[in-house]
Parts: sequence; C-alpha cells; structure tokens
Amino acid sequence: MPDSPTTELSQREAFDRYVVPEIDVLYRVARSITRNPTDAEDLVQDTMLRAYNAILRFDGRHPRAWLLTIMRNAQINRVRRKRPELLRDPDAAMERLADERSEDEGPEGLVVEREFDAAVETALHTLPEKFRDVVELVDIQGLSYQEAADILGVPTGTIMSRLHRARTRIRKHLESSGAFVNGRPA
Amino acid sequence: MIRRRLLRRASPEVNCREVGRVLQSYIDGDVESDFAEKIAIHLEQCKHCGLEYETYIRIKDSLADRQNDQIDADAIARLREFGNSLAGD
Repeated sequence: MPDSPTTELSQREAFDRYVVPEIDVLYRVARSITRNPTDAEDLVQDTMLRAYNAILRFDGRHPRAWLLTIMRNAQINRVRRKRPELLRDPDAAMERLADERSEDEGPEGLVVEREFDAAVETALHTLPEKFRDVVELVDIQGLSYQEAADILGVPTGTIMSRLHRARTRIRKHLESSGAFVNGRPA
Repeated sequence: MIRRRLLRRASPEVNCREVGRVLQSYIDGDVESDFAEKIAIHLEQCKHCGLEYETYIRIKDSLADRQNDQIDADAIARLREFGNSLAGD
C-alpha cells in the first residue's frame, strides 16, 4: 500500500492500514527483546495502544520503523518501572532478530524448513498412539522422562524406549518421504 | 541418567556403537557429564555419528517448534482481537 497522508484516514482506517499488518513482526521482535511470551504480548499491547493514540499524527511513512520506535520507548519505560537492573538494549535485540531472520529464514531456507516440519507433522500422525503420547509430552511439551512417566503411569524406561522408537520411526518416515537426504533437508 | 559401563570407563574414547546406543538419551541431556563430554568429542570427529546426531536434533527441534508456534499463533490472535477492540472504541 503506498504511503498516504494519515490525515485523510479515520483513526480506525489508519490503525488497520499501518499497525495491524505489523502485529506479527511486533510480536516476534517483542519475543526477542523480552525472551518471554507473556511479557512480549504485554509489550505489543502497550505498543499498539500508544500507536492507536498517536496514529493521526503519523505521516504514513515507514510504519514498521515508527512502530518499532514506539515499542522501544514502551520497553524502556516498562523495564525501568519493573526491573531497572535488567534493561536490555532494544536496538541490539532488534538488530539481532533481523540478523537471525536473514540467516535462518531466507526464502529457500524457509520453504525447506516448512517442508521438513510438514513431513515431521505427517510422521507424527502415523505413530501408534502410545508412541505419539510420549513424543507429545517430552518433545513437544518439554516434560522430563520422569514427568512423562508420572502422567502416563509407566516406568521411565518405558518412556525412553517409546520415545526413542518413535523418533526412529519419524526419521524413517522422513527418509522414505524424501524430506531429507544424508541427515540434511532435501 | 545413562552411565558408561564400568569396563569401558578406562578407555578415553567412545566408539560409534556406544554413541548410537545412547545418542537419543544424550540429546535429551540424560547422560552423565563425563560420558557426555566423550560423546560430544566423538560427534565432532565422526561424520556418520555427527549426521545422525544432527538428524535427531532437527526432528526434536521441529517437534518443539510446534509448541512455540502454537503459543505464538494464540498470542498473535489475541493481539489482533485487542487491535479490533481498540479500533472499536
């Protein structure tokens, strides 16, 4: 959408045009700055509220940069208020995130990554339920062997055995589906 | 926690068979630290075991991302709702 003077838009229209499309990016930057999903969500809400209140004074140019500046100021205020000793440099965090995204998420890399993830997803659904349950608890939810054993009411040795066999089956599925070759995504 | 068998402790290096047997426990951090150090050295030096390790790490990361993706998707959906509520005032 080309830049247009915000004065021609209502507050709602300007917000929908300049802020709403950036919510994903704002959230990912906030995750990087705060390292915590709850704090990230709060920070984006704070940023959106400030942006909404200021939107009619925004000239419509470079909305992402404008929003990131708002987020930067919001984060500085939040951290000063709550934990002044932990002030993390938002500029450095944004640069780090930009670097990570450019390295990891180039268009080709992203496609390969998504294909790999899709193949893992398919493989997961082909597993027998008792294997899938263990993968769900340990690899997806991040529980320990012992915690998974307590939930499922089986010994930790059984958890390990099922988990290892499940991963081996996923790996074989990936090989047979061509999702990767020699340990790397195809 | 996986311990290396007593008879093999004297040997400074681990072999591919040993690594293959405990690789997944190693990935889950369930191997004693002395043994884990030897495995780490082997994985750096042995291409075959290194690739095997990389494969399982990718699978584990992909599975873990499902959880993060869900958390992120839920958060972004709530933020969109928040945006709608702001603009609806």
